[in-house]
Amino acid sequence: MTVEEIVQQIQSRFQEQIRTSEVRRGEACLIIKGDKSFEICRFIKEELGYDYLNCLSGVDWITEGEMEVVYNISSLKQPGKITLRARIPRNEPVLRSVVPLWGTANWHEREAFDLFGIRFENHPDLRRILLPEDWIGHPLRKDYQDERFVSYPWQDRKPGGVARPTSA
Amino acid sequence: MTTVNLQLQQVQERTAETMEEMWVNMGPQHPSTHGVLRLLIKLDGEIIHECIPYMGYMHRCHEKIGENRAYVQIIPYTDRLDYLASMYMNWAYCLCCERLMEIRIPERAEYLRVIIGELQRIASHLIWLGTFGLDLGNFTLFMWCFREREMILDLFEAVSGQRLNYSFMRIGGLALDVPEGWLADVKSFLAWLKPRFVEYDRISTDNVIWQKRIQGVGILKPEDAVSYACSGPVLRGSGFRWDLRRDDPYGIYDRFAFDVPMGTRGDVWDRFWVRRLEMEESVKIVEQALKAIPLGQVLAPVAKKLRAPVGDIYSRVETPRGELGHYLVADGSERPYRYKVRAPTFVNLSALPVMLPGCYIADCVAVLGSIDIVLCEVDR
Repeated sequence: MTVEEIVQQIQSRFQEQIRTSEVRRGEACLIIKGDKSFEICRFIKEELGYDYLNCLSGVDWITEGEMEVVYNISSLKQPGKITLRARIPRNEPVLRSVVPLWGTANWHEREAFDLFGIRFENHPDLRRILLPEDWIGHPLRKDYQDERFVSYPWQDRKPGGVARPTSA
Repeated sequence: MTTVNLQLQQVQERTAETMEEMWVNMGPQHPSTHGVLRLLIKLDGEIIHECIPYMGYMHRCHEKIGENRAYVQIIPYTDRLDYLASMYMNWAYCLCCERLMEIRIPERAEYLRVIIGELQRIASHLIWLGTFGLDLGNFTLFMWCFREREMILDLFEAVSGQRLNYSFMRIGGLALDVPEGWLADVKSFLAWLKPRFVEYDRISTDNVIWQKRIQGVGILKPEDAVSYACSGPVLRGSGFRWDLRRDDPYGIYDRFAFDVPMGTRGDVWDRFWVRRLEMEESVKIVEQALKAIPLGQVLAPVAKKLRAPVGDIYSRVETPRGELGHYLVADGSERPYRYKVRAPTFVNLSALPVMLPGCYIADCVAVLGSIDIVLCEVDR
C-alpha cells in the first residue's frame, strides 16, 4: 500500500473528520478533529495494518486555542509512516485513550497528561508519571509559570526590539 | 523452559495456600536498578505477581529546556540523555535537524559518523555486558568489558577532548576532523577487540551458571513486543529482524553489509545474545567504513543562526538501546516550537510489567538488566 492510498482510504472513510491531509517526505500527514480519533486509530491499526505506535506527543497551540495529540504510526511489516494530528480545544483537552489498541500508549498518554494536562478518557491508570504527584500545573504548556523559572533574555523581548544573538 | 514453568507452577500452588501477597519496594536506591528507579513489586513468596515502575527522580524537563534554546544550543543537552551513548544522541538530534532544514552533510562526515557511532554502540554494549555480568555476580566480566570500553573512551577523547559527554556532532557534520593517525588507532583497536569476544564467551556464554540464570526468564511475547512498541535488542530478542539501520536507513548505512541478529524465544538470554552478536556486526561496519572513507570537509557550510522552515518532523535512528525518535515542530523561528524525545528505554521499560509476573524475585534484576535502561533518558 502506498502512502497516497493510505491517505485516500482514511479520507474516504472519515470524510468529515479530516481537516487537512498531505503526503510529505514519504509520510501520510493528517490533521483530524479530536472526537473520532480513536476510531481512526483503530481503522489504521486493524484495517490498514499499521500496528506499531512509534510515538505519541502533545503540542500546545496557544494562539489557536487548541491542543494537539500527535500519533506517529508505522509498521514492522510494511513501509510507510502515518502522522496523525488530533486537534482538541485547549480549555477542554479531552481525548479518547488508545491504550486498548497499543500498550505503549499507556505511558505516553500519562506523560502527555503530566506535562500538558490532556485528559485521556478510558485510560486505565491516568496519573502523573515524571513529575511528583503533588505538582501543580503542566510545565510544557506555553503559559506555564513558576517562580523558580529563570526567563531568558529573548523571552522578555519587546516586539520590534533587537534580538540578542542566541547561537554561537 | 518448560521445566522452569512447571516448577513455577508447583511453587505457585504451594505458596498460594500458605502465604499472603505483599508489596515490596525495590529502589529508588538500589545498586542493581542502574540509576534511581523504583519498582513496586507484589510478591507471593518468592514469585512476582505484579510490578509497577515509578520514575521521574531525575526529571529535568529536557523538552522545556529545548524549547527555550536555539537549535544549536540543544546539542550539549542531548549528551545528557543517554550518557552511555552520547555520540549517538548527538547524531540523532543533528540528523533530525538536518532532515528538517534539508542540509546535506559532506561525505567524510557521514563516514566518520558511522565509525564513531558504531564504536559508541560497541562501548555501550560493553558497559551493558559488564554491568549485566555484575548483576548476575560475574565480576571478572565487568572488569574485562570496562578495559575495552576504556580504549574506546580514549579514542573519543582524542577526537573531542571529552570522555563521556562529547557534544561532538554539529548540525551539518562534525565539530572537527579526526586527528592524524586516529583511523589507524581505530584499526588496531578492532584488531585487539575481536579476539576478546571469544574470551567473553568463555566466561559468560559457555558458563553453565550464566545459562541457567537467564534462559527462559523474563519472556516477552512477540505480540506484546509490538503492542508496547519495544525496539532495539528487546524487540529483536522477541523474534523480529528489525533494525532501522537496515529497514529505514539513515546516513550511509545502506552502503554497508551487516547482519541483524535476532532471538526466537524473547527471554533474557535472547536479549543478551542479540547484543553480544551486535558488537561483532558493529566491528564489521567500522571495518568497511575504514576502507572506504574519503578525504574532505567534515562540516557543511551552514548559517550561524539556524532557522527551520515551518513544519514538523519525526526522525528516528537505531541507538544501542533501540529507536530514538525526535519529534520537532518548527514555527520558523530559531528555536523549536515543540521538541519531543521518544526515548527508547522509556518505551522498553513500559513493557517490564508484562515481563516480570511469574519470575522469581532473584530474577527481577536480570530481567531489568536485560532491558538496558539508562534512567537519565527515561526521566528526561
